[in-house]
Amino acid sequence: MLQVNNLTVQYGDLTIVDHLSFTAEEGQWLMIVGPNGAGKSTTLNAITQGTAYTGQVLFEGEDMKKKKAAERARCVGVLMQNHFAEYAFSVEEVAALGRYAYSGSRRIADRDTAPERKTTAVHLPRPAFLAGRSDEDERAVENALALTGMTSQRKQSILTLSGGELQRTFLAQVFAQDPKLLLLDEPTNHLDLVYQKQVFELIEKWLQTPGRAVISVVHDLSLAKAYGTKVLLMNHGRKVACGPAAEVLVPKHLDPVYQMDVSGWMRQMLGQWDG
Amino acid sequence: MEKNRFSIIEFVIFAAVTFAVLCLCICIGSVRIPPTDTMSVIWDGMRYQVDLSAAKPEGLQASIILSVRLPRVLCVAMTGAALALAGGAMQGLLKNPLADGSTLGVSSGAALGAVIAIAFGIRFPGLPFAGTMVMAILFAFLSLVLILTLAYRLDYSLATNTIILIGVIFSMFVSSLMNIIVTFAADRIQHITFWTMGSLQGASYQNALVLLGALVICGGVILRHAQELNAFAIGEDNARHIGVDVRRVKLVILITVSGLIGVCVSIGGSIGFVGLVTPHIVRMLVGPNHRRLLPASLFGGAVFLMLADLAARTLLNPIELPIGVVTSLVGAVVFVVIFYRSRRHS
Amino acid sequence: MKNRKFLTAGIAVMLSCALAACGGQAGTQQTMAATEAVTETATPSMETTTEEVSVAAAEETTAETTEAKTEVSGPITITDMLGREITLEQPAARVVALTPSDCEILFTIGAGDTLVGRGEYCDYPAEVLDIPTVQSGAETNIEEILALEPQLLIMSTMSQTEEQAAQLEAAGVQVVISDAQDIAGVYTAIEMIGKLMGRDESAAEVIDNMKTTFAEIEEKSAGDGSKTIYFEVSPLEYGLYTAGAHTFMDEVANMLGVKNCFADVEGWSAISEEQVLERNPDYIMTITMYYGEGPTPEEEILGRAGWENVTAVKNKAILNLVNNELSRPAPRLADGAKMLYDFVYGEE
Repeated sequence: MLQVNNLTVQYGDLTIVDHLSFTAEEGQWLMIVGPNGAGKSTTLNAITQGTAYTGQVLFEGEDMKKKKAAERARCVGVLMQNHFAEYAFSVEEVAALGRYAYSGSRRIADRDTAPERKTTAVHLPRPAFLAGRSDEDERAVENALALTGMTSQRKQSILTLSGGELQRTFLAQVFAQDPKLLLLDEPTNHLDLVYQKQVFELIEKWLQTPGRAVISVVHDLSLAKAYGTKVLLMNHGRKVACGPAAEVLVPKHLDPVYQMDVSGWMRQMLGQWDG
Repeated sequence: MEKNRFSIIEFVIFAAVTFAVLCLCICIGSVRIPPTDTMSVIWDGMRYQVDLSAAKPEGLQASIILSVRLPRVLCVAMTGAALALAGGAMQGLLKNPLADGSTLGVSSGAALGAVIAIAFGIRFPGLPFAGTMVMAILFAFLSLVLILTLAYRLDYSLATNTIILIGVIFSMFVSSLMNIIVTFAADRIQHITFWTMGSLQGASYQNALVLLGALVICGGVILRHAQELNAFAIGEDNARHIGVDVRRVKLVILITVSGLIGVCVSIGGSIGFVGLVTPHIVRMLVGPNHRRLLPASLFGGAVFLMLADLAARTLLNPIELPIGVVTSLVGAVVFVVIFYRSRRHS
Repeated sequence: MKNRKFLTAGIAVMLSCALAACGGQAGTQQTMAATEAVTETATPSMETTTEEVSVAAAEETTAETTEAKTEVSGPITITDMLGREITLEQPAARVVALTPSDCEILFTIGAGDTLVGRGEYCDYPAEVLDIPTVQSGAETNIEEILALEPQLLIMSTMSQTEEQAAQLEAAGVQVVISDAQDIAGVYTAIEMIGKLMGRDESAAEVIDNMKTTFAEIEEKSAGDGSKTIYFEVSPLEYGLYTAGAHTFMDEVANMLGVKNCFADVEGWSAISEEQVLERNPDYIMTITMYYGEGPTPEEEILGRAGWENVTAVKNKAILNLVNNELSRPAPRLADGAKMLYDFVYGEE
């Protein structure tokens, strides 16, 4: 589904991502792990064309660079780790914005299919700012809100939400966006355990529909191990190892990258729970 | 009920309030004219426009109503609408409730452009005010680009503090440039108050037409981008992720906002804080969704500036206050309120 | 958090400063500076009326005659117009004048050759333009003035502050302040400057000439205050300003038996366009500069929408005075009064 070839990102003299190549296939949950400054988030940024790069990012064989913004958004959706709300948009408004990428095509399709128009005696052409959402949009937003459990809070202002609720709101947005590939940048970094579990389970459920894939950057190696079908270990912008979790998350690869006995420490911590 | 668009009923209510204030502002003025006379003069004037054989309204009342008050109130209403729309668009684009032509220094930039056009005699043959207007628009745009570039350099997240601080500093810088030009070209620019405080005295129907044109073109484009502004108001990165062509939208909004502010400044001088106060108050009424906020701001801006102009015209009769004094007075208070409120959130 | 508070306070302070700068200064000081600047780069009018030429000629002769006379010797003590006592050992020979009107007085009493520096807005008579300029008003530069080594500095309360006077005096410059608010005040200023320059007699002569002109005009004027005049000091495009009560224009109008239609407004003030139409002046005098393109100030007024019913517009009774004859407390007020008389009653 996604193919990254020789991706290189440089800020001045600094090379953040260095000739990185990997693929993500349908049904896969690719976990990108590595220490701080390994270039994980930058890699996601390059995929969404948020930063300049050399190399190739191909989505289903087509160059992402050549796609228009809306087309790109129909292929790839993103859930960021932080959200700073300034205005009192409602949960529903934020979620509905996920349908933005479809608004161009809707404007054309809308003209003769919108059912509620047919009931009105006078067919008034409405300017863009008066236009409503199409049925399909409506359904997608409803589903997304239901899936993330935000339906009951749909009218609530995002300024009053907790961190977990805010993250679920944006998850609803990206679900409504209905991309084929979902990118997650440390989606649960600031959330407490309950929300971490919720979010990861929601994404796992979303991934079950055929034709979808997820790439996420995570810090927590046990999360990567638990949910990832494939793991990409990065260090200094380079690929260290890539493959099934069981093959990558092993001392041979991890210990040199993190410069410590990773599995030993993990076991030690988990051991305290058993005892 | 779906709340993400401006319903017909709301549209009618806002339009009705605006129209009522318009009538009020035409009926009240420095010279007292009974409302019934005012209405009959306007009626006669309109009949004369439609049917040239009808009697042309003449006399003092006709002159005051038709030649002085009506064109001025129309220009004030449209200037208010344009500035409020520009302010609302910038506040959305920058995700910053304090953004406005005056706080970012865009109005000062536009005024500088106009002053340069006058001082150096930049004009287009056949179009008397075009030189000033084009320079005002150009400088408004350059100011915006400069301020934003500086702000991005300093602080990528465009924190409220950074950009406003840069705007205020830029305003001061531009004012001093303007003072230098005024010192060197004093014979041509005698009226610095006009460029710093604004005045819509002497506004003509021609000015009103120009404003209407700017509103229809630039305002139309801005209103078409309501959804994109919503996305920016939630966050620029988020906007990119949901498929907004961030660069294109930003450029379009900056150009149209510059167009609106440039035209307003070249006609009425720089009138501050309309674009700050109006969207803020309107947001409390209709919420932050730009599909509702922008059209409501159009009406709100017209109402706010018409009332400010009414105060400027009548409070100290026969003396007139500069309209910018009135708007700044209200604006400064609102600015402080928003500032403290938004800082308390974070 | 602390940082943020600091920033908040900083922005609030800066903003209020910016606001104050806009509101306070722009309203009064800047317009004053701007209006004073009106004639800065303007060359004195080429088409001087015969009247003016004869007055100027008369002044020149008086100047020559007084120069021939012996100067007063011994210390000179005067009280300046702020009530401060000033003593000079001998008449000043090196003078800096910051205000245009004081420059004009110096030249009229024949002491123009003592000027070693002038404020940048001093532009009359033409000879004054050859004298080095110094910055005046809010930008007054003390070092620049000291470099000219003046024995005397004349400034006015119109554009300078008392603090500036105190600073200059602390720096060793003898400062004299003129503060003419009306025509009588102009006489006082001329007399005071005459004394300081040791030219009491020519000063007295100038005052006499002015008094004679004013008296003649007043006597000849048949007006009973039924005709009204509107003085326009800022055109419609930038918001109307008029000269109300207690201005030289107002005083001269009263002398002519013509009523200033904005006598109820104090000083120079922004006024409502509607009020001008309602008050329907018989005459309009504007001091708007014309810089060679578009309609002249007269044409612009005649073409204003809605003004067609104003008597002055109907009769095309509009006078454009461009050389500050009636806006400066200087001897030329008499010329201005004469011009206004001719405009109202027709030239003889």
